Formats: sequence, C-alpha cells, structure tokens
Amino acid sequence: MIKNKRAFEFSFSWLFAIIVGAVIIFLAIYAANKFIGTERVKQDTELGKELGIILLPIETDLETAKTSKISFPFETRLYNDCISSNVFGSQKISTATKSGIGNAWENPGFASTFYNKYIFSEKILEGKDYFVFSKPFEMPFKIASLIYLWPKDEQFCFVAPPNEIQEEITDLQLENIFIDNCPPKAKKVCFTGSGCDIDVNLLGSSSEIRGSLKRKYSNKVYFETTALFYGAIFAEPEIYECQVKRLMKRASELSLIYYTKSTLLSPKGCSSNLESSLIYYANQTFSINNSLDLISYISQDSDSLRRRNNDLDCKLF
Amino acid sequence: MTWIASSSKGQLKIQQMAFVLMAIIFFFALVAILYIIISLGSLKEKAVSLQEDEAKELVRKLASTPEFASSACSNCIDLDKVFVLKFRNSYKKFWNLDFLQIEKIFPLSKGECEKSNYPQCSKITIIPQEEFGSPSSSFVSLCHFEPQKGGYVKCELGRIYASGKGLK
Repeated sequence: MIKNKRAFEFSFSWLFAIIVGAVIIFLAIYAANKFIGTERVKQDTELGKELGIILLPIETDLETAKTSKISFPFETRLYNDCISSNVFGSQKISTATKSGIGNAWENPGFASTFYNKYIFSEKILEGKDYFVFSKPFEMPFKIASLIYLWPKDEQFCFVAPPNEIQEEITDLQLENIFIDNCPPKAKKVCFTGSGCDIDVNLLGSSSEIRGSLKRKYSNKVYFETTALFYGAIFAEPEIYECQVKRLMKRASELSLIYYTKSTLLSPKGCSSNLESSLIYYANQTFSINNSLDLISYISQDSDSLRRRNNDLDCKLF
Repeated sequence: MTWIASSSKGQLKIQQMAFVLMAIIFFFALVAILYIIISLGSLKEKAVSLQEDEAKELVRKLASTPEFASSACSNCIDLDKVFVLKFRNSYKKFWNLDFLQIEKIFPLSKGECEKSNYPQCSKITIIPQEEFGSPSSSFVSLCHFEPQKGGYVKCELGRIYASGKGLK
C-alpha cells in the first residue's frame, strides 16, 4: 500500500533543460575531440616539414660522409614514402607523435614533399632519438647526397665486412653499428655465408664495392658504390628500389646538363667529345627498371664516362 | 483562471531558456570563428616561416649540389652549368623555391644572361617569379671556362638569392 501519494513533479522545463544540456555536453566533447585531433595533425605536419629542413645541413658538401643525431621531444613515428613517377620522383616525409590523450598513435600529419632528398630507411620508424648518416652518391658524377636514418633502438652488426666498410664505420663512430662483436638484438649483416638477417654478396674485385643484398623474407636488391650499399642495408627493398629509380632519373637530367654544357663549351675550345655518350647515358638511366640494371649495364657506361672524362684536359665534371 | 496563469508562466520560462540557449550557442560560435581565424593566421605564418627556413638552408647548400657545383674548386658554382640550368624547365619545381637567381657582383656587368651575351652578363634567373618574399642570399664564387690564353677556369665574386615558396 502506498501511503505517500505525492508524486515528483517532472515539468517540461526540466525535461527540456536535461535534453538540451545533454546535447550541449555532447557537442562540447565532440568539438574538444575534433580540436585535439586537428591540433595533432597540424603539429605532426609541421614536424614533418621541420624534419625535412633539419636534414638539409646534414647532407654532404665536400665530405665523404657525415653523421648526426636527431631528437624529438616525444616518441615519434616517421613515415618515409618514396614516389618514383614524374621527372625526379619525390620524397614524402610525415610524422605522428605519441599522445597521452585518446589513441596513443593516430594517423600521420600531411606529408611534406621534397624532390631533392633521398632518405633510405624503413617505411615506418619509431623512436624519440634517431641516428642520421649521409654520403654522396657518384655515378660517374655526383648525383645526390643520400641520407640513412635509423632509430636509436635499432642495432646493426656487420660480420666480416670488407676493409673499406670497416674503416668507414670505425672512423665515423657510427652509433648502434657494431663490427663482428654482435649484441643479441642487433640485425646481423653477413658478408660471407648466409642465414643472417641481411646477407650480402659482393661481386668481383672492382675498385668500387658492388653486389647484391638479401633481407630475410624480402626480395634481393643490387648495389653499386658504398653509398648505395648503405642504402640497401638501411632501407627496405621497396624504398630502396624507388630511391634508385629516382637517383637514376636525376642522373639522366644531370647528363643532359653536362651534354648541353659540352655543346656550349666545344666552340670555345673545350671539347670533350662525350656528347653522344652523355645522351646515351641519359636515356639508359632514365629507363632503368630496377637495381639489377645498375650492375647489369649502367655501371659499365658510368665507368666508361668517368675514364673518358678523367683523360680530358678540359674536364666536364 | 489559475490554470491559464500557470501555463503562461511555464511558457515564459521555456522562452527564457530558449533565448539563453541561443545566446550560449551564439557565443560559442563566435569563439569558434575567432579561434579558426587566429589559428589559420598562425598556420599560414608558420607555413611561410618554414618555407623561408628551407630557403635559408638551401641557399647555403646550393653551391655544393651537383647541378651547381664546379669541379674546378671546392664550394664554387659552375656558371656554365647554371646557365644551362636556366633553360631546363624540369628544375623549376625541384627545390620548392619561388625565386632563384645568381648575380655576378665583381667585376661589374649588366643584364640577364642570354645565349647572345653569356658570359658578359650579370644575372642568371633560374626560377623567375614576379611576386616573392624577401630572398635569402649567400656569397659564392662563380667559375666559368674562359677561352682566352689557351683556356682556363675564371672565377668571380657572386651572390645567390633564393626565396621559399609562398602561399597562394
């Protein structure tokens, strides 16, 4: 039996206030969430562009190699994307920072595009501190400065490398790169035998280091010169092949510049007779399919151009 | 009579609340618009400053890039190559710049370099642009092949100007 018959009066104004209040709170939370997301994308986009600018002074001028370290304020993911289409292809860099609000990792910010950069790394890197190493790539003239990037947590161990590589790593004191004494977590790079994380097969005994490299569960890639050897070590095959194509496209454009320079200087008494070879080299490098073409025929053309240029009194490059 | 009075009082309250809600929504909309305007402005400013930073760094580096570098001396610009570069459209977007020019400072000479007056000219504009911000500059050595006296590489004092891509 209900003794107290007084009911709670739930007026329309109360009901209206609750519904509208709930809508306002929902909209406020939604807007705050969107605001945080937009700010994150904005900061990540800025960071990607800043990284591209920071990498500029790290590129080599006259040096044979250069090393540096990049530290981010927070744990950061770097996205390395390479596009080989168009005249020079493009290097896209984007970042995503770890956040304590919402999902720890969100999609990266908008990518910054660079046409004159060649970054050799995994597609996605994660860490707060990164090591950077750069080397000039010449074939037969300087084509670009290559950048190798790896996070502080990643270690590489070179087992029985050739003297040239061993000396360079020791001289540059490259961090997290070990020779022969391998820490347990390090990626093993073997120059003799197989079954390591990365197996290197060096070809011939030419002055330049050349050969092939196979990562576990990945396709074989081919390299010519130490600059591309490091590229093959630090970059995953897809990125490596794309960067090689981009480099060859730039080599093609440079060949055309040297060709025009040669035609400009020939009437002035600085004849090189390299015009037809330069046009041929420009066509060959522009139509490269993959890194195998490098050691199949481009290296021979490059060697021939280098020798002929060295013999000139009035050098083209 | 009493019923009519209480009903009109309730309606008044609802109207009051609706007006307050309208005012709140209007206030937040204003705040949001203000935020968007300020943040867009700062975003544009940041984007322009990043492009300028890139131009500053690039101007220091250009002398050593393969398209500019001279084999005759270290950190010198090969003017013959740069003159060729002027006519290659493929390089117009290569450096993300709105303006790129090389100027000979000493010895004094005049005019934009063309096929008819090269190398007796003053400027080579690789990326021409009518509207650009204040360009960053750097002093460089400009070297070119000189056919006189049996042929030699002549180097002169020059300056390189670059301006980052502006927002359109």
